[in-house]
Amino acid sequence: MISITGVSKRFGDVEAISDVSLEIRPGETFALLGPNGSGKSTTLKCVVGLSAPNAGQIRINGYDVYKRPREARRLLSYLPQRAGFPESLTIREVADFYGRLRLTAPGRYSEVAASTRFEFNGLSDRPVGTLSGGMLQRLGLLVACLPDVPVLILDEPMINLDPEGAVRFRDFLLRMKEQGKTIVFSSHILTDVEQLADRVGIFVGGRLASVQSVDALREALNRQARMRLTVSPLDCRLVDAALQAGAREARVDGQALVVTSSPEARLLILKALQTAGADILQFTTEEPSLEDFYMTYLRESRMAKENGHEN
Amino acid sequence: MDLKAIRTIARLELIINIRNRWILVFALVFGALVLAISYFGLATAGAVGFQGFARTSASLMNLVLYVVPLVSLLMGTLSLTSDKSTGEMVFSQPITRTEILLGKIGGLFAAIVVATLLGFGVAGLVIAFKTGTEGALRYPLLVALSLALALVFLCLSAAAAMVCRRKPMAFGLALFVWFFYVLFYDLLVIGGTFLLPERTANIFLFVSLFGNPVGVVRVASLIALNGQEIFGPAGAALIRFLGGSGPSVAFLLGALFLWVLVPLLLARRWLERQDI
Repeated sequence: MISITGVSKRFGDVEAISDVSLEIRPGETFALLGPNGSGKSTTLKCVVGLSAPNAGQIRINGYDVYKRPREARRLLSYLPQRAGFPESLTIREVADFYGRLRLTAPGRYSEVAASTRFEFNGLSDRPVGTLSGGMLQRLGLLVACLPDVPVLILDEPMINLDPEGAVRFRDFLLRMKEQGKTIVFSSHILTDVEQLADRVGIFVGGRLASVQSVDALREALNRQARMRLTVSPLDCRLVDAALQAGAREARVDGQALVVTSSPEARLLILKALQTAGADILQFTTEEPSLEDFYMTYLRESRMAKENGHEN
Repeated sequence: MDLKAIRTIARLELIINIRNRWILVFALVFGALVLAISYFGLATAGAVGFQGFARTSASLMNLVLYVVPLVSLLMGTLSLTSDKSTGEMVFSQPITRTEILLGKIGGLFAAIVVATLLGFGVAGLVIAFKTGTEGALRYPLLVALSLALALVFLCLSAAAAMVCRRKPMAFGLALFVWFFYVLFYDLLVIGGTFLLPERTANIFLFVSLFGNPVGVVRVASLIALNGQEIFGPAGAALIRFLGGSGPSVAFLLGALFLWVLVPLLLARRWLERQDI
């Protein structure tokens, strides 16, 4: 459905993305993961045709985005990271304008508002300039969902939504996914990625470092789940006991023992610590953040590269 | 070319300009200027009171040549360098950048047409009520030439907005364009004629007319509104060279068309190359 081949984009001296190649299959939900400035938004902008790549080619259903822009863009709808609209227009006028551009049926606005549960009850005639960030994001999502197209490209779609709005939109996307839409989105929120995506592309420094299934990502994240234990007495024998019981890493951090392991191994480790004579006074779990994941990912890929050089 | 999309964008641009009150401000400015010129036009001769269309049109043209380019450049630059976040959503739709540019310029031009018709129209009615309709045909001609000038400077503002992109820089360039064409150009031409031998200077003067849209409109209005008698021998020679008043105005309008087309093509070229 979306074919990205060897795409690079420079802004002056800065290489925003470099040699990105990716195939996104019809009906697939693909998440772009990466820290700020890693190239996710630039990649999406190139796919939509807002930024022209310095090298490479992008095709949507066979149409080259830069040679056949109209045909390619007819197949997609895009939500930018910060959707903006002229402040003096009302919500209804904005929806009407984009509806006209996309030749949607007259009742489509109400239909999409009901489907996303983003109704602006009684507020449709309010000027955009008076909306909060969250409401503006809802309007952006509503506009992006107006055309009934096979491809949705969403740049950080849930970034400004309140928890209720995020749940509603996640449900809507799940329904879109069931209907066979191809969805590409970037996100910093792991739960969104885990619940929605089939595959993820990990961006590091403008390069697509890895493409993996969500199951593989989940496994990688699980391996980094941590326990922080307050035990008595705290000594080095407990570190060995935890490692022998299946911990990936165990260390003493101040007055606590910090153990990294998969969630499945936690019970075994706790039992091993008790057998080793530890009295467990308190214990908390720390789920890995995306930042932890990146750091581990970067460390592991650097180590793999160094080992490769040595061999 | 998707004409429906161009119309949709133009309509939105017109609504935005109505809402932000630019139209009202410019209509008031135009109306007040017309009435002031009509009322105080003979103040230096010791007389005040409304003058008819013939005198008002002639005096008003000089003012139009200053105000209309400025208004068009300001409105154009303000609109065409709008926020990046607004642009991303529009430019991702299945329409070409040319269609977006044409729609925006179309909407801005419609806004200027509304402001001009409102301002000049209401003032025209006052003058007609006070002095009668003698010479009233010159007045719509003046309005038409004002609108032609507005379109030229809107296209120049589009080129300035596309080449600069950032609002403050685009405003700076737009103001430079205004100073250059409205104030400096004639001085440069006069300076040039001193440096050239007489025969070459005459050709230089003739050719230089087409290098400034303000000059083109000034000459066209003088021919159309006042006839060749006001022009003196040089004007008479120009009219004879171009084959009479009618062909002269047509020729000058052709030059204005190029002043619309060339900046528009440049703006389009720069917009096509931009990252949104």
